[in-house]
Amino acid sequence: MSFTELPHTADVKIRARAQTLEALFSDAFDALMQVMYGKDRRGGTSKEIDVESSDNEALLADFLSEILFISEVDRLVFSRAEIRIAGGKLHAVLDGEPFDPSRHAGGSEVKGISYSGMSVTRDTNGYMLDIIFDV
Amino acid sequence: MIEGVKRIDTNEWEVPEGFIPGMRVPGRFFLSESLGQSLEPGALQQLANVATMPGIIKNALAMPDIHWGYGFPIGGVAAFSLEDGVISPGGVGFDINCGVRLMTTPLSFKDVSGRRDLVDQLFHAVPTGVGAKSSLKLSPKSLDAMMTTGARWAVENGYGVPRDLVRCEESGCMKGADTRSVSVKARQRGVPQGGTLGSGNHFLEVQVVREIFDPVAAEAFGIREGQVCCMIHCGSRGLGHQVCTDHLKLLEAATKKYQIKLPDRQLACAPLTSPEGREYFSAMAAAANYAWANRQMITHTTRQVLSRMFRIDYEDMPLVYDVAHNVAKFEDHVVDGKSMKVCVHRKGATRAFGPGSADIPHELSSIGQPVIIPGSMGTSSYILRGTKTAMERTFGSTCHGAGRIMSRSQAKKRMSGKEVTENLLKEGIIVRAPHENAIADEAPDVYKPSDEVVQVVHDVGISRLVARLTPVGVIKG
Repeated sequence: MSFTELPHTADVKIRARAQTLEALFSDAFDALMQVMYGKDRRGGTSKEIDVESSDNEALLADFLSEILFISEVDRLVFSRAEIRIAGGKLHAVLDGEPFDPSRHAGGSEVKGISYSGMSVTRDTNGYMLDIIFDV
Repeated sequence: MIEGVKRIDTNEWEVPEGFIPGMRVPGRFFLSESLGQSLEPGALQQLANVATMPGIIKNALAMPDIHWGYGFPIGGVAAFSLEDGVISPGGVGFDINCGVRLMTTPLSFKDVSGRRDLVDQLFHAVPTGVGAKSSLKLSPKSLDAMMTTGARWAVENGYGVPRDLVRCEESGCMKGADTRSVSVKARQRGVPQGGTLGSGNHFLEVQVVREIFDPVAAEAFGIREGQVCCMIHCGSRGLGHQVCTDHLKLLEAATKKYQIKLPDRQLACAPLTSPEGREYFSAMAAAANYAWANRQMITHTTRQVLSRMFRIDYEDMPLVYDVAHNVAKFEDHVVDGKSMKVCVHRKGATRAFGPGSADIPHELSSIGQPVIIPGSMGTSSYILRGTKTAMERTFGSTCHGAGRIMSRSQAKKRMSGKEVTENLLKEGIIVRAPHENAIADEAPDVYKPSDEVVQVVHDVGISRLVARLTPVGVIKG
């Protein structure tokens, strides 16, 4: 599992490749958390979320938007997501810790998940994702 | 220049119909030849995308700070007919009513030069950065009032003086806000963030007026050379971001329902006459009001710090103006010789109403509206005035800032925040941020030179230069 940052002047553009849709979403989740809070993220507090959407792009946008919401309101920084996807529904168990300014203040606040420039594609090598975070 | 683009004038270019399929009108943008060298094809594609939207009037427009955004390009402006036009969160952005305001002080450069304690005190007084919490305990009732009456709520609750309201676009309160259209989630995000600056390119700066280009307008705005001013740049925080996210989803369904064909999903929209369109507008107006109240509260905190440190009266720090640069509004404009109400979207663009406009402060009616263009932290910010040309050509709009030319990751790789801070200090600029990454991200040269951007709008005549300011103290979010 991995992601790379692609050049984008105003915002943050991420590309990820994975064998399964779940792994792809997990990479996008990891990228979002890393952009916002850096690499030093630990576990200990868990949360569960459910999202239902019309297609893969919407499911990803809704999933990440829900992460943004929970992270901000509950002041939690997540390190891991166990994701299950079936029939347009996503269930995720998140593992994280309370926001700690000494370790988590170096990132950029992500304002929203944009559909512009977002694509989830599949070929013989698996899935590929491009996504832009508005920062 | 990118292939397919037509030159209209020295600083004006056209993206003709047919550049992409489905364009209803041509795109027009204002850019100098040299700024054109850093124009991204993605930004032009986005401008052409806007031109495909139903009910668009005259042109899809972009200002000289045009760059690649999401939905509309940044610097994008479009007006839509009330009868057959649409409203779109993609033309406003996640940070609804992100905006900027300028406040003057009776202080001069020598009073603040090298005063690290001033920057430190402001930094401690205004919550900034990722995860910053407000000390304010907003009740659900107060949040509702804030979203309904905006800066007026703030002034009525002791965060300013009535005169501040006169010097805000829309008097700091957008009509048509309906808090019932704002979700529980958005409210939850709004409660702990009242009076916080946020992160990214948001800032609070102590600046000095270095140059006056238009003495008559400067005097009317209350600005003199050598004077210390404070500039505040921020928006509607998580509340606005959530309103955009919520309504993007609702409007995506509406796009299908009303069979609107769009080249980009982020342009999801609904007819202005539809329940979905009206609901988005009322929620967006509520978030815009939250932003005005937010900037008003930060102004109050800034005034308190300055009053305490320099023993100056709170009332001696009047607001020059407050402008919104991410918003959709109903405005009167002349189209084909006929005055009509239209819905103007400004996504990273500033209203620049000219002399005689009904919606500007009475005492400035012969001058035009003050336009505030922030630079990056080492470069100049500018005050301009709105013009009749803007009313005729850009639905009363001009640029909003410098526009980035380098990604954040590139910026961080190139120079550390510590190096940027040291370099700026050599120029007499003291910078503070919760983390050095925020400084590296926003280094002065990751933006287009603000001087060139404002020179284009001045030369085209869609606003005219009044004064130039440079920072001496910077608080980054």
